[in-house]
Amino acid sequence: MTNSDGGKDDDKALKARLERLSSALEDRKGRPEANGNDVDVSASSTGRALSLGMRVLSEFTAGVIAGAGIGWILDKLLSTSPAFLIVFIGLGTATGFWNVYRMAVGSTGARKTGSK
Amino acid sequence: MKGKDVAAPGKAIDPISQFELIPIIPIRIGGLDLSFTNASLWMVIVLLLALGLMVYGTRNRSLVPDRLQSAAEMMYEFVASTVRGSAGNEGMRFFPFVFALFLFVLFSNLAGLIPYSFTVTSQIVVTFAFAAMIISTVLIYGFYKNGMHFLHLFVPSGLHPVLTVFVTFIEVISFLSRPISLSVRLFANMLAGHITLKVFGAFVTMLLGAGAWAALSPLPLLGVVAIYALELLVALLQAYVFAILTCVYLNDAIHPGH
Repeated sequence: MTNSDGGKDDDKALKARLERLSSALEDRKGRPEANGNDVDVSASSTGRALSLGMRVLSEFTAGVIAGAGIGWILDKLLSTSPAFLIVFIGLGTATGFWNVYRMAVGSTGARKTGSK
Repeated sequence: MKGKDVAAPGKAIDPISQFELIPIIPIRIGGLDLSFTNASLWMVIVLLLALGLMVYGTRNRSLVPDRLQSAAEMMYEFVASTVRGSAGNEGMRFFPFVFALFLFVLFSNLAGLIPYSFTVTSQIVVTFAFAAMIISTVLIYGFYKNGMHFLHLFVPSGLHPVLTVFVTFIEVISFLSRPISLSVRLFANMLAGHITLKVFGAFVTMLLGAGAWAALSPLPLLGVVAIYALELLVALLQAYVFAILTCVYLNDAIHPGH
C-alpha cells in the first residue's frame, strides 16, 4: 500500500518535472527562432560581430574596386585617360554604400519579404 | 636576408613563406607550368577528408547514428536548411553544388590550422575561381530560366527616370563587385589570421632569445592560444558565410524580380 501511494506521489512529481522541463525546452527553442533569420549562427556574439564587420568592409571595398576597374578598362579602350576612372570611382563608392545599406536592410528581414 | 638587421638572434619574423607554392612533381606541358604543388597536394587531402567523412560516415545508415554518421547528417541538415532558408525550395536543385563548396571550404580552412599544413583557401586564385564559378552559374542559370527578364534584377521599379538610370548603373557595378567581395573576404580572412599566428609565434621565440626579456614570453604564447581559438571560429564562420552568400546570389537567379 505504502509502496503504491509513494508511486503515485512519484508520478505526480515526475509529471510536474517533465512539464517544467518541456516548457524550459520550448523557451530555449523559441529564443533562437525569434531572431533566427539573422545572417549568422555563430556560437559567440564576438564571432558574429567580427564576421559582420568583415562583410561590411569587403562589400564596401569591392564596390569601389569594381567601379575603379570598370573606369580603368573604359579609359584603356577609349584612351580618355583619367575621365572615366574618376567618374566610375565615384559611382563605385556609391555602390559600396549601396551594398552596405542593402546588407543593413537585409539583416532585419525586410529583404526577405521584399524579394517574395 | 632581412633578418640580419633584426636584433634578436635566430630566425627573424617570416610570416609569408607559409603561403609559398613549392612544386612537388614538376610537370611542364607546352609553355604551361602544371606542376603538382603543395597546394595541389592539400586540395587532394581536403577532398579525401570531406569524401571520407561523408562516405565512411554514412556507410551503416543505422537508425541510431554513431559519431561520424551524426556529424555527416548534421552537416547535411545544416546546409540543407541554409539553402532552403535563403533560396527557397526551388534552390534545392543547387544543393549538391552548395554542399560541395561548403565542405571544401570548411575542410580546407580547418586543415590549414594544422601546423605545417598549407591553407588552400589562403590563395586568392582558388577563392576567385570559386567566386567566378558561382557568378557564372548565376548568370547562365538566370538567363536560361528567366530569359531577358533576368535583367530586371538591375532595374528598380517605381523611381524617377533619372534616378532609375543612376541606380541601374550602381546595381550593375554592385553585381560586378560580388565575385570580388566573395573571394577577397575568404582569402583575406585566412591570410590575415595565419600571418597573425605566425607573427605572435615568432614573438615567443624572439623573446626567449632576448635574455631577461624571456620572462615576458608567456604573454605572446597566450596570445597565440587565443588567436588560434579565434581562427577556429573564423574558419567555420567563413565557410558558412561563403555558403550562405552563394545561396543568396543563386536566389537572385531563381527569382530576379524584386
